[in-house]
Amino acid sequence: MSVLLQQLANGVIQGALIALIALGYTMVYGIIQLINFAHGEVFMVASYGGLATFTLLPDDLKKSPAVALPLMFVGGIVVAVLVAVIMERFAYRPLRNAPRLAPLITALGVSVFLQEAVRVWYPDATSNLPYPKVFPEGGLSLGSVNIAWTGVLLVGLSVGLSVILQTYINKSRMGRAMRATAQDPDTAKLMGVNPDRVIVLTFIFGAVLAGVAGVMFGGYLNNINIDMGFQNGIFAFTAAVLGGVGSIRGAVIGAFIIGLIKTLAGQYMPGGTQYDYVWIFVVLILVLVFRPQGLFGEPERVRA
Amino acid sequence: MSTSTVSTPAATAPVEKRSALAPLGKPFAVAGGVLGIVAALLPWVTFSLNDGNWPDKSTLQFFDAPFAVTGFRWHVLLLGVLVLVAAFAPVPSRGRVVRALGWGLTIVSFVNAAYITVKGGGLAAITALDGATAFGSVVGLIAGVLAILAGYGIGIEPVGEWKFKVSTPVAYLVLLVSFGAVLYAVAAMLTTGGVGASNPYAGAIFLSFLGFAGGVLGALSGVGFVRWLSALSEQHRVFSVIVLAACALLLPFTDAGNEYWMTVAANIGIYAATAIGLNIVVGLAGLLDLGYVAFMGIGALVAANFSGAATAHFGITLPFPVAAVVAAIVAGIFGAIVGSPTLRVRGDYLAIVTLAFGEIFTRSAQNNIGGITNGSNAIPGIPPLSLFGAEFNKSISIGAVKLPAGVLYYVLIVLLVAATMAVFANLKFSRIGRAWIAIREDEDAARAMGIRTGKMKILAFLIGATLAGLAGAVFAHKNGTVSYESFKFLESVTLLAAVILGGMGSIPGAVLGAALLFVLPEKLRDFEDYRLMIFGLALILIMRFRPVGLIPDAHRRAEMIERADENAEEAHVEAKKA
Amino acid sequence: MSTPVLEARDVSMVFGGLKALKGVTLTLDEGKIVGLIGPNGAGKTTFFNCLTGLYTPTTGQVLLKGNVLPGDPAQVTDAGVARTFQNIRLFPSMTVLENVMVGRHVRMKQGPLASLFHGPAYHRGEKAARDRSRELLAFVGLNNLDDELSRNLPYGDQRRLEIARALATDPAVLLLDEPTAGMNPQETEATQQLIFRIRETGVSVVVIEHDIKFIFGLCDSVSVLVQGELLVEGSPEVVRADPRVVEAYLGKPPEEVEHEIEAAKGEQA
Repeated sequence: MSVLLQQLANGVIQGALIALIALGYTMVYGIIQLINFAHGEVFMVASYGGLATFTLLPDDLKKSPAVALPLMFVGGIVVAVLVAVIMERFAYRPLRNAPRLAPLITALGVSVFLQEAVRVWYPDATSNLPYPKVFPEGGLSLGSVNIAWTGVLLVGLSVGLSVILQTYINKSRMGRAMRATAQDPDTAKLMGVNPDRVIVLTFIFGAVLAGVAGVMFGGYLNNINIDMGFQNGIFAFTAAVLGGVGSIRGAVIGAFIIGLIKTLAGQYMPGGTQYDYVWIFVVLILVLVFRPQGLFGEPERVRA
Repeated sequence: MSTSTVSTPAATAPVEKRSALAPLGKPFAVAGGVLGIVAALLPWVTFSLNDGNWPDKSTLQFFDAPFAVTGFRWHVLLLGVLVLVAAFAPVPSRGRVVRALGWGLTIVSFVNAAYITVKGGGLAAITALDGATAFGSVVGLIAGVLAILAGYGIGIEPVGEWKFKVSTPVAYLVLLVSFGAVLYAVAAMLTTGGVGASNPYAGAIFLSFLGFAGGVLGALSGVGFVRWLSALSEQHRVFSVIVLAACALLLPFTDAGNEYWMTVAANIGIYAATAIGLNIVVGLAGLLDLGYVAFMGIGALVAANFSGAATAHFGITLPFPVAAVVAAIVAGIFGAIVGSPTLRVRGDYLAIVTLAFGEIFTRSAQNNIGGITNGSNAIPGIPPLSLFGAEFNKSISIGAVKLPAGVLYYVLIVLLVAATMAVFANLKFSRIGRAWIAIREDEDAARAMGIRTGKMKILAFLIGATLAGLAGAVFAHKNGTVSYESFKFLESVTLLAAVILGGMGSIPGAVLGAALLFVLPEKLRDFEDYRLMIFGLALILIMRFRPVGLIPDAHRRAEMIERADENAEEAHVEAKKA
Repeated sequence: MSTPVLEARDVSMVFGGLKALKGVTLTLDEGKIVGLIGPNGAGKTTFFNCLTGLYTPTTGQVLLKGNVLPGDPAQVTDAGVARTFQNIRLFPSMTVLENVMVGRHVRMKQGPLASLFHGPAYHRGEKAARDRSRELLAFVGLNNLDDELSRNLPYGDQRRLEIARALATDPAVLLLDEPTAGMNPQETEATQQLIFRIRETGVSVVVIEHDIKFIFGLCDSVSVLVQGELLVEGSPEVVRADPRVVEAYLGKPPEEVEHEIEAAKGEQA
């Protein structure tokens, strides 16, 4: 029983991390129907950005978490946003009217490029890098269940930021422009919405969330490596699809489901943690085949 | 989700877009050509570098016979002359031709200049030292840029179209000569700069050669020769495949006929065969498969387990042909399974499904599922193939000619590639191939024509996977070890890149793409660390500037070329604004 | 009376809460041309999609020579109903000849093995398909354009190519979705002649069209669809004389038209 509770808690924390990344996938897909394969790498780059920020700090600041931690978030987010904006401007925008395979292949290229760029140019990136200990240590003990403070922080940030995002998109002027562009880009353009601005903004929002996720990932797991982007990116994409691509709430709920599947399958399914990854892919395939509109989406109508 | 094609009124006469460069077109071309020739005759480096003279006596102190140009300076000379010829001769689409040649000049000059500067320690190496001047590379660069600008000035018109038909014997002759030239180019590509560490400048010589070859190929493509030739070879495809195979079988008798290149060429062949299989799925049926290498892995694992290797799981040893057929069938079955979601899933989502299957394969293989993959220990010690007592990894002698070790594998793999090419070509020009292309172009319309799209798509997956399984079986014996590491996501992306780089739906394209992607790392040891990064960047750039690939299929070209042209035009306009 | 070639019985189609078609019935007798007209959004294309198996009607059924059609476009085409599209949907980067040969797909016997090995049977089959396709291209008036890419054809030729492609499936019924959209009077006239010649070959035709003059000059019988319902059906003369059609076409607000329809129904009852 306590094992189950512990795994549930772990699953929720994993889900919170995945949710932050999944929002980037779901928003970009909602607006330009692109599976931004490189989004997982934006998350990875952000994590290294946070680490680099810490490394560059003067020694006395390194010792004071209250200053270092926010600066690391800023560093991670700035790097993520820069990468996302450059990628949108130079890789995706020129292909907006190209056949659909083209941007997807470009996204693969961007993904490989980013991962390799970090491996080659970031010092010692070929092996796991330890993340600085500026995060709150220790944790919460509820009976036999232990939850690290970083986990609590992660869940809080994830839920809080997605609520803010949802509200922004529903209430603000820019949010309305985003929804309009997602539904009918041509009409939105006629109504005076600048699609380029909306799209860039979408990438920026995704990158900010990925930036937060990147730094928190380091804080929660204490180690980062260049493979983290691909793996978590796939989890996040699965979550976005599961929740219904384009839906903010769906992505978050999907992410928590994926987090739980991962930890619970690792605990209880045959093969253990060696196969937890496989179960997520099985879920991904089943969802795409049997409910491609996701758990909360509307089925698409055939057009002739 | 297929896009409905809104009919455009007939392709109207090309819209005249005069650029500010227009009046400068011809003068720039002439200047570029002349400067190119001058550059070839100038010295390129002022002193001998630490690793020895820069190739081909271009070091100033060895520059005693200025008119005996060979090597890269010979290429520069040729390009310069060609620019001049193109400026005056009545060639179709002159702008394209001059631009391509200009790019060739620029790349050759840049590569040599950059290497000399870096290896020779600074700009002095390519400019002046102690009164000795060596402006060859600088002049070459200027010539190249001038020619590129001249190309835009003259105007980028549609690729020339050659309508004339030739009689069969003439066609055969043209094909024979062309493929002979291709063989020569491939042998030259393999041998330029020597092997690996034997020549410190191998990377530079090779890249420089690529620049030259690319420039000439671009020019040939610009005048419409490449398109005409590929149409001709499709018309006479049986003959073409035979000649290509014969040419390939002659490779061991050229300078490239040593053990090292036989091994590399055999590896390229395995991936080329696999890429052609992928081309059926992606190029013909238009289904993006991101987990394709798993089928090759399945084939390799099946063959390894029936090979009699010590760690094989079943304890049964099958003769290779049988094992290969079993491997192909098993891979084909998995192909049909992976393809079955196509009944319900389209487009990007399908790509993700294939990716998921690929990852499931990798993970399962890594964890030694069912005890058949041996996990991270791999299955080593797979015996090499042998035929009539001749082991495939040993050298053989035919009469007085001693052929290098590995030549038998090479021959086997050439035959494998020829067979997959024949399969691809035959399918493409059949009821099924037409159905695939129709599905790729407009799935709803294809259904309205009575095509059972689901069945056809699964068939594409099945055939593609079967070919990959076959290639995997050969791979297992050729390499002697099968590990899941060889069949990861990145390999799938590499294969896809080979297909795209070469040109989707085009057979020579798939071979060329595979050759480039697998030869480049061999040649560019200097950049080994950057290999994948360059590769990712290349994917982005290809999609941006030449989405049709190097040797596009006629259909694909029509589909994408106008867009590529628009892009080029747009980039040009932007460049001017900046 | 013989069985009609094509018969739609009480076909209704509901999308979510929207009733796109409300019990539409249509019969097409062999060798006839039936026109389907109606204002925009009347459900004409939805009805076409029901006839071709792209949609499965919510209620009602479609019969070809008395047999219920399967709910799958490919099988419907196989059974003998071919169509063209409102916004031309050729295979743009295939040649003219290849486009028509794709239409021969269902009538060719060539399986995977024949496709793979190209034996004598393959060559016979290809030749037969090629000959038939050339014949059809000549029939619609596209000679000597075999190797042209279909996307490079002028607009009118693309329309005719689409008809040739549909005829290549050897249909009993041909459904034409706005075949003269965007054409000038001469081209429209030529299309009319072409449709007459198609009828002469024994193919029955259903045409959707906005151009009322064209429809009245072409069809043996005309059905008017308004708001998903069949308003009138009859010979061109009858339909032309019907005041409700005139009103529906002069663009009265839909509610008012509906009132009229209700009123008309009341009168009939």
